[in-house]
Amino acid sequence: MSTLVKTLPIAQPARLPRAWLPPLLGGAVLAFLLAPFAALVFATHWQDLHFAPGDGTAISVSLLYSLLSLALVMLLGTPLAWWLAHYHYRGKWLLDALLLLPLLTPPLAMGILLSSFYGPYAPVGGFLQHYGVILSNSPPAFVLAQVYGALPYFVVATRAAFEGVPEELEQISLTLGKTPWQTFWRVSLPLSQLGLAAGVALAWVRALGEFGIVLIVAYFPQGIPVKLWVNLQDIGLSAVYPLLWVFFLVAVPLPLWLGLRSRRQALF
Amino acid sequence: MEIHYRLERPIVMDVRLQVEGFTVLLGLSGEGKSTLLKAIAGLLPASGTPFGGLPVQQRPIGYLPQGYGLFPHLRAWENVAFPLLPGAGRRREAMDLLARVGLADWADRYPATLSGGQRQRVALARALARRPQLLLLDEPTSALDMATRDEILEDLIAEMRQLQIPVLAVTHDPHLATMADRMAVLAGGAIAQEGTPREVFAEPADGAVARLVGFRNIFPATVASASSTGVWVSGPGRRLQTTPRPWARPGMAVTVGIRSEEVEIQGVDASGENSLCLQVAHLRDEGLALRLKLRGALSLDVLLPRLRQRDGGTIDPSGSLQVHVAPEHVHLFPPQGAADSQPREGGRF
Repeated sequence: MSTLVKTLPIAQPARLPRAWLPPLLGGAVLAFLLAPFAALVFATHWQDLHFAPGDGTAISVSLLYSLLSLALVMLLGTPLAWWLAHYHYRGKWLLDALLLLPLLTPPLAMGILLSSFYGPYAPVGGFLQHYGVILSNSPPAFVLAQVYGALPYFVVATRAAFEGVPEELEQISLTLGKTPWQTFWRVSLPLSQLGLAAGVALAWVRALGEFGIVLIVAYFPQGIPVKLWVNLQDIGLSAVYPLLWVFFLVAVPLPLWLGLRSRRQALF
Repeated sequence: MEIHYRLERPIVMDVRLQVEGFTVLLGLSGEGKSTLLKAIAGLLPASGTPFGGLPVQQRPIGYLPQGYGLFPHLRAWENVAFPLLPGAGRRREAMDLLARVGLADWADRYPATLSGGQRQRVALARALARRPQLLLLDEPTSALDMATRDEILEDLIAEMRQLQIPVLAVTHDPHLATMADRMAVLAGGAIAQEGTPREVFAEPADGAVARLVGFRNIFPATVASASSTGVWVSGPGRRLQTTPRPWARPGMAVTVGIRSEEVEIQGVDASGENSLCLQVAHLRDEGLALRLKLRGALSLDVLLPRLRQRDGGTIDPSGSLQVHVAPEHVHLFPPQGAADSQPREGGRF
């Protein structure tokens, strides 16, 4: 009897039915997402790869002004995100809804809004023009457009990051004699770095890739996105690929570095 | 050190108590114990002494919340060094404090890799680095394993006595109160009683305090007669004799409290004062002890330690039992306290 019991397959590991389905589905969706990128590799004429006139300028315009925009976005967005994460009062939902407004507005519409506010014939634009600040088709206009495109995303991501920091730890820091400012640098910031890195990466990509707002407000100076469109119109598809490659090379490293760095540090 | 704090929100509270050595504030969940500690630490708007009106970062207190609130991104020694000013001696001072709580070898660990007791000691060392005049402990037993809890607490309390810093620990755990130098009971937003644990456990001021310090049998009664030899109280079914109380007057509504472990089992034919024949309604093992629910003229919750279990021979789960409560074990609480307490568990006449 006992030998019979021993040979019975009692403890066979329970296999989940259709355990192959999730990886298969996941793989298919991933392939769907990445297929166009693979296509770019094949579509590029590697033997005859050359830039169109003005591409170099577009690259430096994009890099320089996007970095400036990113700095502005972080400077303006961080206090707002911190404030939204920490203060609770009645009617806050209204503020949340208002914050979503620029996020939900299509870029083209946002561009139109900006030109009717900052444009040369608008009251604010006219006022600033009086002092020599021209907010249309100028470097400041270009940066302004990028800031409007990136800031809402940065605030939403950063706010979620700040909300993830246990309030108790910030309170403990105060009871240990640190000022709110010291607490921000030594507790809130390091504990929200994963989300903050995501916010910075998102803002960078949004700023660099901003097309709709920039097209309306600052057709000049031309950054990579507008130049891509101009090349496509004037020369054709083949003139787009070299610049597209550069765009990826410029856009991806910062988010990648931030992501990997914060992931490594998250393993304490 | 006398502490007096008033709060309006989130709970209305006016608490005045004396903190000496290791003092435990006992109260049910929801009484606002944690709220009071936060108010003293300055984390909630409140008025009071000491430290009232000072911003949080200027109050000389050490605050250990439940779970201890260690910074997860800092190593043990960095946590301890957190309140210290930057300088050459910072690491050494933090290491000295860690050594003091016996954790010098764990200095480079992150909090996630430490046990509950170790985290508590790191948090204590960190609080000490602040050189506090008062330590505030929120439920210090909540994150400890039951098996090692008492040892860890004894060490902790001994350490704090050595430091001679007054400690206010809030808890709902009466066991922690038994280890204290002094205790107070929080009920209804004010201190219901304070004194040494021996005083409070022996003579709770009212039914609410009695329940918190472990009384399971709490019920209303009326004083039938009172003299210098004793007080007799009665309910609908039964008279009980207790020791003399100067305040007791015939006709007075009082609350009676009897500890489960102070009910004795008698022989079958025994009789006399406070001797009751009751029906066994429920019987179950509680570790080595035996817990009984008795019904009859009086409903009683009884706890029989192993030593006394043979007194009653074999207990018939559906039979009756002769029990006795010595007059000195029948506690009487005066009327104003009786008004606050509704018996939740245990007997009623």
